[in-house]
Amino acid sequence: MAFSNRHITATSVEATEFVDLSRKFRVTGVPKTIVNDRIEILGAVPEPEFIETALQTTEEPKT
Amino acid sequence: MGLLSASDEAVLRQHLAAIDTPVSLLLFTQTIGGSESGPVARQVLGELAALNDKISVVEKNFVLDTEDRTAYGIEREPAIVVLRNGEDTRMRFLGAPTGYEFVPLVEAVLLAGTGKVELEPDSQTRLASVSAPMDIKVFSTPT
Repeated sequence: MAFSNRHITATSVEATEFVDLSRKFRVTGVPKTIVNDRIEILGAVPEPEFIETALQTTEEPKT
Repeated sequence: MGLLSASDEAVLRQHLAAIDTPVSLLLFTQTIGGSESGPVARQVLGELAALNDKISVVEKNFVLDTEDRTAYGIEREPAIVVLRNGEDTRMRFLGAPTGYEFVPLVEAVLLAGTGKVELEPDSQTRLASVSAPMDIKVFSTPT
């Protein structure tokens, strides 16, 4: 995803090594994906679902 | 002793042969008071780079190379930044890429070195609409 769009940065985080980050994002199982520090994706989900969920962060909040 | 077996090296060498564009792996580590996994990350990257002459490792000092840290947004170490022909691919790794973490590293290197995106065409179309910064963190463990 990061390679496909210059606005996207993707970081693979070793959860046991960066305990502070794991605590901050409440990582109790892996893989766990966090998008823009607020959207959570648990486990290995199918590609279309992953992308749709990740894209929720780019949508305007509903008022 | 190496982390990769001779048979692992042979398989990897075959996969990495598809690389046609130079890939640089920037490795940010801290010598004094740094993470214990820094030397492990260095060894992993060294063994990977030894398998293909288009892959190189560039060492960065986490404490001293502050401009690079800022440019690539590196806040922790060890950290790896994947470059394609000197340009940032925005693919990063935090921690030593061992165990299950090693496969995504190899995939990132292959992507950077070949430019071949494996995403479905629909996914690529959806991603093209992203026009604001998106930060993705994937937490995993080596075992």
